[in-house]
Amino acid sequence: MRELTPEQIRDVVETRILPKVLKPGRYLGNEWNSVHKDWSRAGVRMAFAFPDVYEVGMSHLGTRILYHLVNSYDRYLLERVFAPWVDMEEGMRKHEVPLFSLESYRPVREFDLVGFTLQYEMSFSNILNMLDLSGIPLRSAERDEEDPLVIAGGPCAYNPEPLADFIDVFLIGESEEQLPEFLELVRQAKEQGLPRREVLTRAAGIGGAYVPSLYTVEYREDGRLKSFQPALAGIPAVITKRVVKDLDRSFFPDRAIVPNMEIVHDRVMLEVLRGCSRGCRFCQAGMLYRPVRERRPETLLKQARELISSTGYNEISLTSLSTGDYTCVQPVVKSLVEEYRDKGVGVSLPSLRIDSFDVGLAEEVQKVRKTGLTFAPEAGTQRLRDVINKNVTEEDLLRTAQAAFSKGWSSIKLYFMIGLPTEEQADLDGIAALAKKVADQGLGAGRRNVTITVSTSSFVPKAHTPFQWEPQEPITSLRAKQEYLREKLRDRRLRYNWHDAETSFLEGVFAKGDRRLGKVLELAWSKGCRFDGWSEHFKFSRWLEALKEAGLDPHFYANRALEYDELLPWDHIDSGVSKQHLAGEHQRAMRGITTIDCRHLGCYACGVCPELDVSVELKGGVVGEN
Amino acid sequence: MKIRVAFAKEDEAKFIGHLDLTRVFERAMRRAGIPMAFSEGFNPHPKLAFGSALALGATSLREYVDIELAGEMLPSEFMHRLQGQLPRGLTLLEAKELPAHTKALMAVLNCAGYRVRVPLLLPLAQEKLESVLERFLEQESIGYVRYSKKGRQEKNLRPFIRSLRGRVSSEYLELEMEIDITEQGSIKPLELVGVLREFGELPLDVDGIRVHRTGIYIRGEEGVKSPLDQV
Repeated sequence: MRELTPEQIRDVVETRILPKVLKPGRYLGNEWNSVHKDWSRAGVRMAFAFPDVYEVGMSHLGTRILYHLVNSYDRYLLERVFAPWVDMEEGMRKHEVPLFSLESYRPVREFDLVGFTLQYEMSFSNILNMLDLSGIPLRSAERDEEDPLVIAGGPCAYNPEPLADFIDVFLIGESEEQLPEFLELVRQAKEQGLPRREVLTRAAGIGGAYVPSLYTVEYREDGRLKSFQPALAGIPAVITKRVVKDLDRSFFPDRAIVPNMEIVHDRVMLEVLRGCSRGCRFCQAGMLYRPVRERRPETLLKQARELISSTGYNEISLTSLSTGDYTCVQPVVKSLVEEYRDKGVGVSLPSLRIDSFDVGLAEEVQKVRKTGLTFAPEAGTQRLRDVINKNVTEEDLLRTAQAAFSKGWSSIKLYFMIGLPTEEQADLDGIAALAKKVADQGLGAGRRNVTITVSTSSFVPKAHTPFQWEPQEPITSLRAKQEYLREKLRDRRLRYNWHDAETSFLEGVFAKGDRRLGKVLELAWSKGCRFDGWSEHFKFSRWLEALKEAGLDPHFYANRALEYDELLPWDHIDSGVSKQHLAGEHQRAMRGITTIDCRHLGCYACGVCPELDVSVELKGGVVGEN
Repeated sequence: MKIRVAFAKEDEAKFIGHLDLTRVFERAMRRAGIPMAFSEGFNPHPKLAFGSALALGATSLREYVDIELAGEMLPSEFMHRLQGQLPRGLTLLEAKELPAHTKALMAVLNCAGYRVRVPLLLPLAQEKLESVLERFLEQESIGYVRYSKKGRQEKNLRPFIRSLRGRVSSEYLELEMEIDITEQGSIKPLELVGVLREFGELPLDVDGIRVHRTGIYIRGEEGVKSPLDQV
């Protein structure tokens, strides 16, 4: 790769490459509210790398928070870089342009740190590709003093092992406090001129930091883990996630970058709460982000005012894992709608639950902009909903649907999962029956032309959930189920779409994979795999070849039932929720017994609050017992 | 009230697409606290109407947009407030209040001027260029093929060329052109350069083209007018 100055990179990119690519706005970095700092004055320079395209990465709330958080410190500089789309990559390789940051067009390799956010397993090949485009050695062990430290965080860092060969440091949990601590360590290390090895060892002393090269792994003959332990004294055997205790007072940016091109979530996002204690047994986010911590309405209204005036956006979205559960959702929505109705600014609620859904609330939201309604019953029968602890009933759904149709909505989307543990034929029939009953509610409400869109994804067992011990259903039977549903859902009022089973399978392999998969990742990348989450670029056969060449059986990872006493590849990462609680929940699932949200029926001892010395924070007057 | 605004689209804004420009203006106006008028319906949109679209990647000395406001505001105040909130590369030049029933920009703009710079792959003599241009303009019909969402279209680009001049430097060919915008549509400078290269077998590196719009205006019997002149 050529050594190029930022000016040379900009010249080649703007005159030679951008005129020939789709959406050149992905690569400009001069958006409103983007931060352009003086390179020479920053003590630590970090490139925030999102391993997917710009419009996906820019829609991610965590990216927005961390960008302004780090840049709020005078001594640090954070610039963005996204995965270049295939046309851009081709142009960059042709003109020998290294991966560069958007703000200053500097080669990523010149930064002190490169931080990847791990939002989904299918972006892993993009990480390798971005390292390669940067001219940074892929493997941690091959990097030297001149190379940036490569760090990573986000939900997939809770099973970091498939990436252990490529990432120098993982930061587990919420970054608002942890990342500045880490940057300070890097700043001091730079000042003192510490060698890379020493920086890594010191980094392992930061709470929630995991340095994979400092651990040794042994496997049994059958392929299962035998042991996993620190290779040095003083390195923690278990890494516990970090949490922000007081979300209401934690950093939240009063500005957001306003892209010139359209992005996926092109609006102001207010994070009303963090965490969810509903306890759906398949849901990894529900386990990882505990406990529930809400923000005060006054805080949110203030943030809304600041953000609308600094961005000029025409929509405010109240985001969280389950916004309908926010104890102050009604007054906050009402205040926002009243304040912005005449200014062409709408309010939206992206995640609504059937039981906490309130048509009055949805109507408030609809006053300014019409938003579609989406519900996730997840399973077709009450029996299976009890197994997965999705505590909604058919009556809830039908009542909600009828109310919605009578208030003028004409289309509803329903999300289900197939391949859930204990699933039977009756559960598939239940999906079709439920969809038809929902459509029938249209008639009851006097609407003939209703559309119900049924989407099914395939269940992927995830680390740190009660279903982590469960096998994933094989591709062939998932396909048969999709085909069955396609037949069953033939009705002019119904639409059906489903997720590709091969993608889900590979996601299952990496979600529960171990360190040996690093080789597979490298092989697959070298065979041209990237953008695996994009169906037009997903090359399943190359992945199978890579697995074969690495001598690994994907079914061992995805389709095997694990034992409770088995050492799991992610056991050294502690989400705060105890393994004992997860096993208990798994057993209750098998018996079809539900567990009620701790916000409603008292603590069920998942372990998070005492383990992390934090508590459930509700701002609507009701406080759960802990 | 309605305001007609002239603005320049400079280097830093040249990759903001035509459709994106509407959003960029809307957000800038909201940040600036300028009261916008919105369309009725479920998805209210601000009432903005741009003149002729500029190709992605092209810069322009002078573009126009009509904006409807929900209240009264002096054009000078409007310009001052909006300029402070526009991304770099978008510079406001002039604004005037529009009288009622002014014709839309799209309906009156009928001619655009461009300055185009294309890198040369081999040296080119000025005389050779001039003879090519002369022969080129003598043609009554110059066919070319446009591929778009509508599929393959065969068109004649000669009727749209009002003038075309060129100058050769050591590394570049610079073309000045005036292109008519008619009810039958118009042509893009890139299309013209592509056809010219083939016609004259010119050593042009078309991939490295830079297009700069020098103006867009109303050409009538009394000569050339700006859409702000009438107002």
